[in-house]
This record gives sequence, structure tokens and C-alpha cells, in this order.
Amino acid sequence: MLRFLKLYEKFGIFFFIAAGVIFLAVATPNFLKLDTILNIIAQGSYAALVGYGMTLALMSGGFDLSVESIMALTSVFLAILIPVLGIPLAILVSVFIGSTVGLLNGLIISKLKVNPLITTLSMSTIIKGVALLVAGGKGIVILQKQFMTIGTGKILGIPNPIYVMLFFFGIFYLIVYRSPFGRHVAAVGSNESATRISGLNVDAVTIGVYILLAFTAAVASVVRTSQALIGMPSMSPGFVLVVLTVTILGGTSLTGGRGNLWGTLLAGIFISMIYYGLNLINVQIFYQMLAVGLVLMFALFIEGLRVRYLIAAKAKGIKV
Amino acid sequence: MSATVKGPRSGALVWAANRWDSFGLPFLVVMLLVVFSLISPVFRSSYNLVSNLSFASLLGIGSIGMVFCLMSGDLDISVGSMSALAGVLGASMVTRIGAVPAMLLTVLIATACGFINGVFVTRLRIPAFITTLGMQFVYRALAYIYTGNAPVYIKDPTWLAVGSGTVLGVPFPIILMAVCFAAAIYLLRKTSFGRYVIAVGTNKNAAMLSGISVDFMKNAVFTLVGFFVGIATIVSGSFLGSVNPGMTGQGFEFQVITVAVLGGTALTGGNGNMLGALFAALFITYLPNGLGLKQVNSYWQYVATGFVLIFAVGINRAKSAILGLRDT
Repeated sequence: MLRFLKLYEKFGIFFFIAAGVIFLAVATPNFLKLDTILNIIAQGSYAALVGYGMTLALMSGGFDLSVESIMALTSVFLAILIPVLGIPLAILVSVFIGSTVGLLNGLIISKLKVNPLITTLSMSTIIKGVALLVAGGKGIVILQKQFMTIGTGKILGIPNPIYVMLFFFGIFYLIVYRSPFGRHVAAVGSNESATRISGLNVDAVTIGVYILLAFTAAVASVVRTSQALIGMPSMSPGFVLVVLTVTILGGTSLTGGRGNLWGTLLAGIFISMIYYGLNLINVQIFYQMLAVGLVLMFALFIEGLRVRYLIAAKAKGIKV
Repeated sequence: MSATVKGPRSGALVWAANRWDSFGLPFLVVMLLVVFSLISPVFRSSYNLVSNLSFASLLGIGSIGMVFCLMSGDLDISVGSMSALAGVLGASMVTRIGAVPAMLLTVLIATACGFINGVFVTRLRIPAFITTLGMQFVYRALAYIYTGNAPVYIKDPTWLAVGSGTVLGVPFPIILMAVCFAAAIYLLRKTSFGRYVIAVGTNKNAAMLSGISVDFMKNAVFTLVGFFVGIATIVSGSFLGSVNPGMTGQGFEFQVITVAVLGGTALTGGNGNMLGALFAALFITYLPNGLGLKQVNSYWQYVATGFVLIFAVGINRAKSAILGLRDT
């Protein structure tokens, strides 16, 4: 069992992607074309992008359910601000507004010590209400067509969302693995009180994590909004589940202290492959929801095994 | 979370904190009723007051299971989808098996969903909120797939009578709510089951060492959540005359958790207040009702209910800080 789990930690997601590629290549004639593959990766970029932020949050032992609402709020402000401020400034301001929600989450969680689940669940409802109020309850059409290039344009034949996904992967890679902040996040997630006693500003780390998470959600929302050219106060319901699934399937532990950014990136692409496969067999959209739910339950099953065996083995001092 | 547990302080704060659970929230509910009654003649009409008391039964009954669940130290956020799945399955069976068996089927399915949640939570050893988050989407998707995203209408007079019928002039949902709360309070206070739930929520390891099967208790609690959600689903189906795979139970988990927490049940487990949940259900029902009658934009209600939950957690925290209890 231990050997299986170690192997799974290293190669699990590669195995899924390989199996998915083989299945799709055999089942569909169109799959092995560059365009199709790039499209699938581009479709997976949102989940991966917000997944980076969620990876940090889970690493710190936290959790966020408010990403959907943050995306909705950003989208609405984007649509309102673009005619007023012009595209670049509107993007900056709305991403800033989205990130502010993360600041609020972080403040409530760290300063008021309300548990992250309840905080972000409440915040999700509040921000959804705010987004609906600001938008007046309906989608706001964006007339500036050039805004569309962000989400639908291509550079060197590769869709822009892929660049966004890879660019932020680079940034988050540096944050998680190569910066003191990443170490601090892992420390907070492993043992909060020990970290606090050793003099680290735990509250600042927590607030930073939620701001970064909200930031990724806001950026994903910019790309999404640019594809639809409409500011949506009720954006992508159920997206938070996709993000969590991607993060957990990628190997980031719920117990905190450990993140796997590569896994998140690949799991984002894997989920997109599932969507593509389901679209091919022409099933209703609800099956996607079911599929993601089942994938999450599977990822949780593995995570449960990991907690049970691997951590138990480590506690007993068995070298794994 | 505070490392040093302060001893009980004296004075007015302690006096207030001690009485908050028994009198604070009921006082708030009375204030709410009085203020809105003074402002709005529509609000104070007996029709409005009584019908909203009926509506409160949805949240009240639904929150009973959640109080048990929070007390045992867990959380179930799949209740809304559970309600949708059980509702569409039950309602679609009315014409085939009759209203009463169909209603029983609804409760049975919701109970089964709760049981499945319990099995996952105890077997996977994963925090319940994330397991039930996954199941939330599985149940919702199954409800969609079963109906093909079409609402299921309830035309059967027996089922419709659950919401609109009266017994001796008292609307039936109110009676149902009273019975459910009486049963729940009995279960919590007078049976070993209730004591065990508190023991598991207060200290899981101590409970296990003293011979309580923690897994069995957790499983039972999740099953209980499903059972009460099933009853609430019957009532909501009867009010609306339909069950919708997309709309039914949307946000119900949030409301139910808010009711339980506002009622004084701690998120950390062990401390629960069943009667508080009843008053919280009244508060949560009459507040939007009063605001709605004052022509407040309905989107403000999202904002308001969001703040109510954070406020409720804040109150609980302040209370335990003042009394030197375990942090919530």
C-alpha cells in the first residue's frame, strides 16, 4: 500500500493524463491535432490558474469557497469600467477590487479567527449580492471588441489563456518553492501554533494567501469575461468545485503544509480532457458536474488512504 | 485557539453572556417583530405573521440535523442538493405509488443520502465539509440527470395539504416543526444518543476511549441530517407545488448552517442549542420578510444573510471568550 501511494504521489496525475490521451486518441479521430490539444489545454487554464491560489490556501491549512463570487464581482466591474477607464486601467482596477475581497477574507480569518469555511461561505453570499447589486441583476455587455483578444487571441498559434496559465505558473512556482513566503505558508499549514511561537507573523501570511487566491480568481475572471464579452454577476456556478478537484487531484494535501503546483497544472488539463470527452459523446452538461464530483470523491479517497497509511507510517518512524 | 484560558470574568458582560442563549436571541426576534410591525401594516397582519411562521418551519426543521452535526464537530454542506434529489425522486413517484408513500420515499432518499455522506466521512477520514462539498455536486447532478432539468410538479392534494392544511386552526407546518423540535430536544437531552453526540464533539479521542463508537455516532448524525432535510423537502415541495432540480435547496445549506450557528451552536463541536435554532429560524425568516416589505432590493438580502452568519459566529466567539469557554 505504501509503495502504491508513493508511486501515486509521483506519477498518479501523469497516469491519468496518459490514460485520457490514449482513450481520446482511440475514441475520436480529431483528437490528435494540434488545435484540438491546444484548445483542451486552454480550456483547462482557468481551473489551473485559480488552482494555484487554492494550492497556496490548502497549503496554509485554509480553504476558500468564495472564488466564484470574486470572479463574478471582477467580471461585473470590468464590464462597467472598460467604457470609463479604457481597457488596461479597467483590468487593473477590477483585479484590484477582486483581490480586496481576498484581503477581507484574510482579515476575518486571521484577526477575527472565524473558521475559513464559514468566512468564505458568508463572503461568497455577500459578494454575490454585491455583484448582483452593482450589475443590477443582469449581464452587462462589453462593446469594446478589442478586449476580446485577451481571451480569444493567439500568439504564434497558441491561445492566449495558455500563456496566462504558464506565466502565472512561473510566478507561483517561484512563490511556492523559491521564496520565504512559500516556506512560511507551508509552516503555517503544518503547525500554526509552532510557527506563531517561533516568531513568524502568521496573520500576515494568512492574509497574503487569501489575497493571492483572490488575485488568481480575478485574473481568471478577466480572461473569461474577455471571451464572453459580457460582465456576468452569476459567473460559472460550481467552479469552486472544479478548482478544489484540480488542486486535490494534483496532490495538494488537505492536512496542510504540502502543495503540489505541477499536479495542479496537470490536473487542470486533465479535467479539461474529461469535459472534452464528455462533449464528444453529446451528454448533457449535468454529466460534467457529476464527473467532476466523482473525480473529487476519488481524489479524496486517495487522500484518505494517504492520511491513513503514509502519515501513520511516518508517525511510527517507518522510512517511506 | 488562545493558549491561555482565562477564568470566568465577573460583571455585566458575564451576566449578558450567560443569558444570551436563553434570552438574547428570543429578545432579538421579539424586537424584530415589534419594529417591523410598527413600521409596516402589511407585516403586522396576522396572515403575514402566521404564513411566515409556516415558512420558518423549512429552515427550522432543516436545521435540526445540522445542529446535531455541528455538535458532533462536523458540517454537512450537501443538504441543498440532497433536498433537490430527494424532492425530484419523491415527487415524480406520486402518480405511481400515491402521495403518502412518495413522501415517505422522499424522506427515505434524503436519509439514504445522509447515510452515504456519513459512510464517506467516516471511511475516508477526510474533513466532512469537503466530502459533503463533493457530494453536493454529485446529488445535484443526479437530480438534473434524472429530470433532464425540468421541474417536477406536485399536483396531489394530499401532498399539497402538508403545507396549506391546518389542524384546529394551526397550520400544519407549524405543528410539524413543533413536533420535530420536541423530538430533537428529547433526543439531545434525554437519551444516551444525545450525550454521545456531545461527547464525540467535545473530545473525539476521549469519547472513543470511553467506549463510544465514534464512527457509528458520526454516521448516525449524518443520517439524521438527511432525515430532517427529507421532512423539510416535503414541506417545501408542498409550499411551491413543484420541485426543481436546479432551484430546490439552492443555498439551503448556507441558511441552515446560519440558523444553527445563530442559534448558539458552536462550530467546534460539543456545544449545541436546539431551541436557539428555532428562534434563529424565526429571525432568518422574518428579517428578509420585513426587509422585503420595505422594498429593499432583494440582492441586499444576500448581503444581509452573509453578514448575519459572520455576526453569529462573532457573537458565539465573544460569548466563549467572556465566559472563558473553549474557543469557537
